[in-house]
Amino acid sequence: MNRRLMMGAAAAALTVAMTPAAMAQEGYVIGVSNTVQGNGWREEMICAMRAQALVEEDVASLIVAHRNTDSAGQLEDLNNLIEAGVDAIVLNPSNPDALNSALEAAMEAGIVVVAVDAGVTAEGAYILSNNQEEYAYLGAKWLFEQIGGSGDVVYMRGIAGVSADTDRDNGFKRALAEYPDVTVVHEVFTGWQQDQGKQQMFDFLATGIPFDGVWTSGIDNVIVDAFVESGAPLVPIVGADNAGFVEDLLTVEGLQGAAVTNPGSVGGAGIALAVDILNGNPPDSTTVLVDPVLWENATDAGRAMIEAAQNPNLDPEWPVSVTIPGWTDYSMEQIIACDGPA
Amino acid sequence: MSLVQRNAWTLGLLVLFVVLLGVTRAIQPGFGVSGLESLARAALPFAFATAAMAVVVIVGGIDLSVASMMAVCSVTAAVLMQSMGGVPAILITLAVGTAMGLVNGALIVLTRVPDIVVTLAMLFVWQGTALLILASPGGTATDWMRSAITGSVIVDGLPKALVLVALVVAVVWVPVKRSKLGLAIYATGSDETAAYRSGVAVGRTRTLAYGIAGLFSACGGLGLLALTGVGEPVPGPYLLAAVASVVLGGVILGGGIGGLLGPIIAVFILRIIRTILTLAAVDPNVTTIVEGTIMVGVVMFGAVLVLRSRGAGP
Repeated sequence: MNRRLMMGAAAAALTVAMTPAAMAQEGYVIGVSNTVQGNGWREEMICAMRAQALVEEDVASLIVAHRNTDSAGQLEDLNNLIEAGVDAIVLNPSNPDALNSALEAAMEAGIVVVAVDAGVTAEGAYILSNNQEEYAYLGAKWLFEQIGGSGDVVYMRGIAGVSADTDRDNGFKRALAEYPDVTVVHEVFTGWQQDQGKQQMFDFLATGIPFDGVWTSGIDNVIVDAFVESGAPLVPIVGADNAGFVEDLLTVEGLQGAAVTNPGSVGGAGIALAVDILNGNPPDSTTVLVDPVLWENATDAGRAMIEAAQNPNLDPEWPVSVTIPGWTDYSMEQIIACDGPA
Repeated sequence: MSLVQRNAWTLGLLVLFVVLLGVTRAIQPGFGVSGLESLARAALPFAFATAAMAVVVIVGGIDLSVASMMAVCSVTAAVLMQSMGGVPAILITLAVGTAMGLVNGALIVLTRVPDIVVTLAMLFVWQGTALLILASPGGTATDWMRSAITGSVIVDGLPKALVLVALVVAVVWVPVKRSKLGLAIYATGSDETAAYRSGVAVGRTRTLAYGIAGLFSACGGLGLLALTGVGEPVPGPYLLAAVASVVLGGVILGGGIGGLLGPIIAVFILRIIRTILTLAAVDPNVTTIVEGTIMVGVVMFGAVLVLRSRGAGP
């Protein structure tokens, strides 16, 4: 009798202890799925998701499946999130086509699906990503203005065939069309590799062909290094908001440049979008693009913006733009703390 | 020894799995038929990778190229299915997998370089081969492949994916195990010299065991394709998971002891632990630590039990 009572009590205690806190509370449970762990951009994305979930009043808890795995592993995680009874799933998809079976099952179960950073082909899923075309357009336009609307520029792209590179190329070409006196004197693919991009710049500087500016697809601080190390006079350089380049913009003597944001905090925007949809305010289109922001050091106002974005506590591997105006509501301290609700 | 004693480890694993199912139900009362089906689907590629690994470990080797061979098979089938029917594509893929396994085995036997070195080298060779076949994820899968692993069969809660694994492993392994080849595999794994002196064609046995591993790897690759619908050239996390399941499943690294049932139950245990950790919203940076700790704990606990039972014996 006594023993039975104790076992019953133990079982009850176990059940209570193991029941997700969310069930007791009112509010949404949001599941997160990501398949790259240990990369600065992705870690910022995860922390942005946690911080945004923390400040969203309607979110009770977040279940994060965040590991290095393949599409089959992401399918497993998505199915586990469905089993966990989440209200929405925010994922960074490993592949646009491979996850449809789980995403369709989720939507059938009434779960809101938001893909951030990259798209999925499952019908009815929302896609929220950085506007890569605008990213290139914004930086290129600033560069062409900076060199006075005419001159020769070096165009350092990413990886041929990757959708982000193709989108950025479209944006760059759009800006180029607006400035007919600007010509591309040299076009290379850096493969988004630091060492490769730096060597390519050394090689081009060695040819002695004159040029007036450099547009890079995010391989940026090593280009500044190449100029400084080879003693070549600096020209305006456009890069991304990587910590190293942003610091260069403030510290390298004579460097004029601009950093265009490609925020990993798009993950936080994904949480915000999921909550909006759950609350009955879906966006007009299932594809939502987050527009980048440009930080330049040529004006005092621009410099002030860059200085405000700098934070010594920020992980040097993270993109410096930790918030997205109009989307995220958390503070810089909250994303650095990386704590989610409950 | 009675049947129960002989299969004590496997039965223990089965009990552990049932207990974990109970824990899952306790955390998420809604965990039911669809949960079991998802679990079986998630286990599919791991189960075949583990079966492949178990066969070569039993013969006294190890195959580090299992995940790479799966990738080759997945992209081969995905590319073939763009231009031909599902059945011929699957048959060709199974042949390709078996051939890769035989190449691994033949290299080990002919060069006398240790298994771990040859298959480590072949890991890179097969990985490159997969990228040559398909540089980025693509290809297609026949529609019926997806439906073949989705849902239940006969009764609700008996997932098709589980039945598929059981059928394939049984069709390949049971006849082998009961034949002379099976005896030779276990003999070679227990003591290669003794097996050789008893007239076992040791080299041929090892090569064939690697061939069987290649065949199971091909099944794993096809499983991946059925799950995702696209061929992925970059190998997934199946190598270390397979080694873990083999050890947890009661196969002794070094060879000669163990079967395929234990390791496959171990696969389900590791998958359901992942499910439990997700349902309980455990910090993702902690989950791998928990997974590893549970694994080591179970193996150590089992070893203590085995030692005790030996001590109690005559």
